[in-house]
Amino acid sequence: MVTDYLTNGPITQKIIAFFIERMGDRTDSGGHSVFLGQVRADEINGKRVKAIEYSAYEAMVKVEADKIKVKILSEYVDVKSVDIVHSTGIVNVGEISLLVFVSAGHRQQAIEACGKSVELIKEKLPVWKKEIFDDDTHEWRQNSSV
Amino acid sequence: MEVKVLFFGILAEVTGNVCKHYREVKSIGDLILRIEDDFPEVVHYKFRISVNNQIINNDPILNNGDEVALMPPFAGG
Repeated sequence: MVTDYLTNGPITQKIIAFFIERMGDRTDSGGHSVFLGQVRADEINGKRVKAIEYSAYEAMVKVEADKIKVKILSEYVDVKSVDIVHSTGIVNVGEISLLVFVSAGHRQQAIEACGKSVELIKEKLPVWKKEIFDDDTHEWRQNSSV
Repeated sequence: MEVKVLFFGILAEVTGNVCKHYREVKSIGDLILRIEDDFPEVVHYKFRISVNNQIINNDPILNNGDEVALMPPFAGG
């Protein structure tokens, strides 16, 4: 279940299918661009990532994700809708932790707005991640410096 | 008066707290000093501060019931 842009655990095929099935309702859209972020089995200092544990400031995620949507819709006038889902909790390697779904009248802005949305999510969304290794140790990661 | 402080990411881990209440704090500066007294390790980490879901860059006066979050650099997406 998705509540205010967040879902506990990986983003499932059921969640992804929900957004794809809804495409048909958007008869003013000619193009949809979808980004799925997946947990990757990185190797760091001889240890392999087996999962990521995400945590979030939920109330502020809603504030910031709402702002991202408003910004994208105002900057890309052909974009009709922006959907964002981010995982919290444990997501294993190979599972999906981020979904961005952008619908637009035409493909150019669908593709550009989707990419811009992902960049804004990485910059603005109050989410943190702890990489868990195959030896059960962990390290905290960051996207950008304060 | 009392404010609620939320710790996120690595700060939650090093302080052993996700939430702590502080009483009689006048400002963010005052609050941070109190937090550093309780959790000296916090000084080793960079973080931004939000008050009631708004990131702040100054030292605002705090009011009763305010929610303050200490947020290390984000890692979403």
